[in-house]
Amino acid sequence: MKLVFALCLLMMPFVSFAQHFQSNDIPDSLKKNAGLVTRYEEEVFEIKSPGKATEHERHVYTILNEDGDYVSTYRSRYDKFTSINNITGTMYDASGKELKHVRKKEMEDVSGTGDESLITDSRYKICSFNNRTYPYTVDFEEEDDINGILDFPDWVPQGINKASVEDTKFVVIAPKDYVLRFKPVNCSFQPVITEDGGKKIYTWERKNLPARNKEIFAPSPIQIIPYVMIAPSDFEAQGYKGDMSTWEGYGKFYYELLKGRDILPEDIKRKVHELTDNLNDPRQKIKVLYDYLQRNTHYISIQLGIGGWQPFDAAYVATKRYGDCKALSNFMVSLLKEAGIKGNSVIIRSGANETSMNSDFPSDQFDHVISCVPFEKDTVWLECTSQTLPAGYLSSFTANRYALLVDEAGGKLVHTPKYGLNDNQEIKKITATINEEGNLSASINTMYKAERQDHLEQLINYLSKEDQLKHLKSSIDLPTYDIVKFDYVQHKEILPPSITETLELNAPNYAQASGKRLFILPNVLTRSAIKLKQDEERKYEIELKDEYRLIDSVEIKIPGGFQVEALPRDMKLETKFGKYITSTRVLPDKIIYYRLQEQYSGKFPPSDYSDLTRFYDEIFKADRSKIVLVKKE
Amino acid sequence: MKPLKFLCVLLCGMTSVYNSPAQDKLNIKFGKITPQDFDLSKYHFDSSASAVIIADMGNSAFEGNNKGGFSLVFTHYRRAKIINKNGIDIATVEIPLYKSGNNEEKLQNLKAVTYNVENGKVVETKLDDKSVFTDKASKNYIIKKFTFPAVKEGSVIEYSYTQSSDFFFNLQPWEFQGGYPRLWSEYEVTIPEWFRYVILTQGYQRFAIHTNNSIAVHYQVNVAGVTERNDMVTLDGNATDSRFVMKDVPPLKEENFTTTLANHIAKIEFQLSSIQFPNSVAHEYMSNWPKVNEQMMEDEKFGADLQKNNGWLSDDLKNITNGASTKVGKAEKIFNYVRDNFTCTDHGRVYMDNNLKTIFKNKSGSEAEINLLLVAMLNHEDIPSNPLILSTRHHGKTNEIYPLMDRYNYVICDATIDGTSYFLDASEPRLGFGHLPEYCYNGHSRVISKELQVPVYLEADSLKEQKMTSVFIVNDEKKDGMVDGSFQSQLGYFESYDLREKISKKTEKDFFKEIKIPNSQDVDIENGNIDSLKQPDFPATLHYDFAFKNAFNDDIVYFNPMLTEGYKENPFKAAERFYPVEMPFTSDETYILNMEIPKGYTVDELPKSTKVSFNETDGFFEYLILKDDNNIQLRSHIKLNRANFSADDYSSLRDFFGFVVKKQSEQIVFKKKK
Repeated sequence: MKLVFALCLLMMPFVSFAQHFQSNDIPDSLKKNAGLVTRYEEEVFEIKSPGKATEHERHVYTILNEDGDYVSTYRSRYDKFTSINNITGTMYDASGKELKHVRKKEMEDVSGTGDESLITDSRYKICSFNNRTYPYTVDFEEEDDINGILDFPDWVPQGINKASVEDTKFVVIAPKDYVLRFKPVNCSFQPVITEDGGKKIYTWERKNLPARNKEIFAPSPIQIIPYVMIAPSDFEAQGYKGDMSTWEGYGKFYYELLKGRDILPEDIKRKVHELTDNLNDPRQKIKVLYDYLQRNTHYISIQLGIGGWQPFDAAYVATKRYGDCKALSNFMVSLLKEAGIKGNSVIIRSGANETSMNSDFPSDQFDHVISCVPFEKDTVWLECTSQTLPAGYLSSFTANRYALLVDEAGGKLVHTPKYGLNDNQEIKKITATINEEGNLSASINTMYKAERQDHLEQLINYLSKEDQLKHLKSSIDLPTYDIVKFDYVQHKEILPPSITETLELNAPNYAQASGKRLFILPNVLTRSAIKLKQDEERKYEIELKDEYRLIDSVEIKIPGGFQVEALPRDMKLETKFGKYITSTRVLPDKIIYYRLQEQYSGKFPPSDYSDLTRFYDEIFKADRSKIVLVKKE
Repeated sequence: MKPLKFLCVLLCGMTSVYNSPAQDKLNIKFGKITPQDFDLSKYHFDSSASAVIIADMGNSAFEGNNKGGFSLVFTHYRRAKIINKNGIDIATVEIPLYKSGNNEEKLQNLKAVTYNVENGKVVETKLDDKSVFTDKASKNYIIKKFTFPAVKEGSVIEYSYTQSSDFFFNLQPWEFQGGYPRLWSEYEVTIPEWFRYVILTQGYQRFAIHTNNSIAVHYQVNVAGVTERNDMVTLDGNATDSRFVMKDVPPLKEENFTTTLANHIAKIEFQLSSIQFPNSVAHEYMSNWPKVNEQMMEDEKFGADLQKNNGWLSDDLKNITNGASTKVGKAEKIFNYVRDNFTCTDHGRVYMDNNLKTIFKNKSGSEAEINLLLVAMLNHEDIPSNPLILSTRHHGKTNEIYPLMDRYNYVICDATIDGTSYFLDASEPRLGFGHLPEYCYNGHSRVISKELQVPVYLEADSLKEQKMTSVFIVNDEKKDGMVDGSFQSQLGYFESYDLREKISKKTEKDFFKEIKIPNSQDVDIENGNIDSLKQPDFPATLHYDFAFKNAFNDDIVYFNPMLTEGYKENPFKAAERFYPVEMPFTSDETYILNMEIPKGYTVDELPKSTKVSFNETDGFFEYLILKDDNNIQLRSHIKLNRANFSADDYSSLRDFFGFVVKKQSEQIVFKKKK
């Protein structure tokens, strides 16, 4: 009986849809802004037990233009936990006629070990179609066995870029007594629940969703795209069991994986004592040990079987001197333990744009591990994969978000620090001279702090001097110039860290000398490039993520014998989005220009968009106003 | 390739005796390292290098094996130093091993050690066996991978291994050059007289040592299962021992205008030509062009269908060619039919998966299938046509002398009509009759035919990309302060092709929306139109009108007369280049501006006219500008007569473009009349 039902479910779409995906059936409303249309999508996930499941997927896309081409290649991953029973790919032309059919054994089978990892056990079946005649339709179907469950797929009805959706469906089949946990996010989609014998069937479906337009300053997809999160309660993988209903339960599971993996070899223990025994301040000890970690290890990713979740033990890292994020974090915690300091591994989602998370729905929302040492009033955070960041500083890669701290009691959600206006600063001081021909020679000193230095921190530590210069040049907006000298110094002693950039440059004809007049742009290097399109219809809230302050002081020596003919107006804009202040003064022999720009983080209603546009327009314009000097008679 | 059966008479255990030339040997031994060896200051190499290969030494030789034949034995030794953390990737090593069926190459005797100097002493950390991983990369390759333990800035790493192979065609090539500087790179190959290989060398670096010595060799080959007394066979003869050494090889990095770096790195390769043992017949492995032509034309997956009369095409061809009065007209109709009705599912193939009939029925196929069908259809209508095989630019150069078939990856159609040869590619929907994509212009290619066996040279130097742009700017008499213009540009064929590709993926409207005219924030673009957009036989012409809304208000206005055209940056960035510049075509770009001086303004400053020639006759840049009371006229003309330039030409080419960029960025200064 059960079998018959499952078969029906799987076979039905074949019969009814096989001939139907003609491209001219697509309504115009679904073509607008779209590179492709998801014609039909179905995912059936059947939970057999806490550790076993099957998954059946079908994806039919009609590709309208180049923007949709990326879905014509289907990559299906498999590994120790997931095996692919069957997979097929078919391509149709616009009229629905079959162009090509590819079976599993004809598909490319490639290793999933890319440049990121030394080795993984994941592999891919790849079916890639190559067509340049639009529109065309591709149809991929796949059946997997899953042995070992750590998370369930979320259902994102419209999860891919540039796509409209005709029909998409998600079905979860679970034993009747299984506690399936799900949560609609940015929507209220509820499943239709039916029962069949000992099984409960949850079905979600959505139809006719037009393609979304990308909007600037929109909140991250996780905050605006409707989707349904699905997670296990009891789960099991390779003999490790867990309960994901609570963060505590999730943390407990990870703690089990860590247990007993913190034993250091004797020589490393000795080293720890040698380094820390003469220090009293625990923070000093952390710093010294973190420095030891950074000097002696580097990041290498090895992901095999349960090793995707379970770190290599401390002894392994001690001898190899490498490991992935979780192995290095575990090693760090082990070093701390030997020095009598209690540290923890912290599971987190990484990426500068990944600050949001659904903290009220315990599930695997993470991809990274860091470590930390909690003190009574604050916490020292350690990014163990970096060989260059100072102890206690998380860059925008992991700052300002929820994360799961793991300890023997289980897990608890913690929040990593947010770097604000007083941290994220860029303070620039320019001392320059302009001669009668208008040539500018400037020495520039810039201090980049906290998140304003993150990108630069990577560049100066991981790029050759040659490539650093290339990057520096790409950030300077002057028609012609030469860089005479440049240098970077990283300051890690005071947190948040900063980088000082010293730069000397010459810009011929910077000021336009025309007859007796000299036209000078006092804002040499920080002209705002943001120009928002006003006419676009705004659908989503505005989210300004970064908070920062930019301060410029410019002093330009000018040739004698000139007097001011025109000066840019001093500006003072104070809005809820930020602040902008400038002042320009001309003394007999020099120009003094001051500029301050602040951006505040926050969310604003879509109706504020025109105010935001205006704010940036005014900055744009003011940054380009010139001083006119005229030669005294 | 299977291990050679006919050698079943021979037995195992091998000794190969040879004398290598003793002079100028690198004095380096595995495990022998002192703190002084970490100091590389006496060597000269790129100061920005983040790792250096101190010694890279390979050796390939033949050994008698116990399977009744020979094995190829390749040993590799390398010592390198990590200078800074960007060089740490050199500590991760991948060794690809070929496999076919149950037979696969073996990795043996892998040793890898990291050395660090601690407290003035060298401390070593060995790689353990468990940390060597196997990645099944594809059907024919597995990759052995490891990363050195305990590496950090300043570490020296050292490894060696032996790779044994039964695949004689896989005599290891040797790359003397790569992404890091190599202070000493050496390869020694000993080939017994019974094996013949064609040796191919490439690159722009000189050998510091290159010797060939004839030496006596003595092999023992073991065969199981033959008569008990006679299962050990010895074989004496001569071998050629060749040694190749390069010193201080600079790294090679990919820069603009490179077909593929694989064409340029210093490298030596071996192609199996024949095997002949005493008293037996020679087995030829290397073919020749007449044979290859013969075989390919008989091959079901290539030419077999072309030899038939393909009568099944008659009815369709009657319809397709209906109304054509000339041979060219007929050919065009057939070409257009195939191009417009067939979908190309795959590029980069030489052989067919299906027969022509199936392809015709399916209306889809790879570029090889589509173009072979085109050949058959043209031949059916008595238009003599042949397939032409080539390698696309990215895929690397082909070899003129030897038919190394894996170097080919593309098939087009070569039709002869009224004595003229037409190259046709019906697999690209927006390509015209008689045109090829630019990636096909990669030098030597071959016509495949039983009768006609000729090389064809598709040279980028023969392609002329000619572009002519003219702009008129006038004062708008109706609206005060407004300045209007019209833009017209007849594009070269390849730019037209790119434009067609681009517009096929979005609308024409969006295309015009994205045009940004410098000089002002506020420009309206109207009446955008593209002539010949849908006629891929011709180059396209782009035109539109524009209006500067607020450009002319300020007292002083700076105006770049090149508008959207001209070079905004030098395409040649690197200070030096160690390999040739390979542009896709020769170019000839003219830009003409006629501009009425904006009402109420005078010209305060005009860029100066100039003309420079490049390498005397290889090209020139001309920038002529003049004004009278009401008008400004500009003509900018760049012409390059060649597409390929040697590395020696690089610095003058770079200077030439540097000059062009500078000149084309100059502005006209308008000043408001008081």
